[in-house]
Amino acid sequence: MEPLKIEIKKSELRPDVSIWHFSGELDSASVEPINKNFNKFLQGKQFYAIAEMSKVTHISSSAVGELMGCRQVLNEKGGDLVIAGLNLDIKTKLNQLGATKIFKFHNDLRTALNAYTWNVEQKSENVWLSFPPELTFVPPVRQFVSRIARQKGYGQRDSFRIETIVDEACNNAVEHGAPDKLRDIELFLKIDRTKLEIEVVNLSDPKKIDSLKAISKSILGTEEKKFERGRGLALIKMLSNDLAIDFSGKGTTVHVTKLREE
Amino acid sequence: MESQIELEYEDIKGKTNAKKVRFIGDLDATNVETILEKICNLFTDGFINIVADFKNLRYVNSTGLGILLHFSKSAKEKGGSFKIANVNENVYEIIEIIGATSLLEIYDDVDEAVGAL
Repeated sequence: MEPLKIEIKKSELRPDVSIWHFSGELDSASVEPINKNFNKFLQGKQFYAIAEMSKVTHISSSAVGELMGCRQVLNEKGGDLVIAGLNLDIKTKLNQLGATKIFKFHNDLRTALNAYTWNVEQKSENVWLSFPPELTFVPPVRQFVSRIARQKGYGQRDSFRIETIVDEACNNAVEHGAPDKLRDIELFLKIDRTKLEIEVVNLSDPKKIDSLKAISKSILGTEEKKFERGRGLALIKMLSNDLAIDFSGKGTTVHVTKLREE
Repeated sequence: MESQIELEYEDIKGKTNAKKVRFIGDLDATNVETILEKICNLFTDGFINIVADFKNLRYVNSTGLGILLHFSKSAKEKGGSFKIANVNENVYEIIEIIGATSLLEIYDDVDEAVGAL
């Protein structure tokens, strides 16, 4: 039997997060040390903690109960206690005790810290990519963006709409791009819990720019119309919450905002 | 490389000029020409009534939709029809947004579409 050890440290990456490193067995005798450490922790006025449990070999129901109590106190103070790194066997056991409905579990410490940045600080994440102006590059790009949205918790319908928006914007960039194809198409994404912003930048063909402006003006107008040309832009407009097209620079920039609906 | 799409064909009993065509995969700008060629070959071979089963068509974009409208128009010009069945809700939304629901013959299932031939 490995004795219980508890070490509490501030995260180096996120100083507002405390990491409780547990190792050994969390049996009924661990309730008191957990409680003692928790009370000491509260004095530091920090209310977000990650219980790092990759070296834990056993958790009793009484220890789970004590941790639930700690979590509840932190929740009342606007914080949380999440669990990271727990092995699958113990997690299965905790599932039977109903703990997986109460605690958020993360595979490792890094994932738990990323989740904190995403869920608590509500920071956005950015992706930039560029690809040659060829149609064949568009399907993997649109699917990549759609998967990012899914991975970030967006629903199936939102992700499909995002896939369509990226597809249409990138196809337009290829279709109306400069004929020498010297400059790659650039795609910027900014995703947070509530919205995804997409920006597609390309170097437009000077011969096509006037017709593109005319289509854009028609699509961005408010009157109802049947779309014979510019179906892609019409789709983007209908699927998104904001669409802006900028021709002022050397290239054309399509900026789309899609709010999370699910 | 094109997006993956496959077409599977099946005869329709008692209808010598009709075919069921199952679309499997994504229909987009990278593969519309392949699909155009395949469906036009059916028209050329005298199959002027097509029932397109979209049960496994995961994705369609505006270019793909344009080609579907073209098939519908071509079939009508030849005295036939291009009917669509089993459209998933995501694909249906795209058709609806473009305003093509009134231009395409859309049915809930394949049997209903075949019955309307």
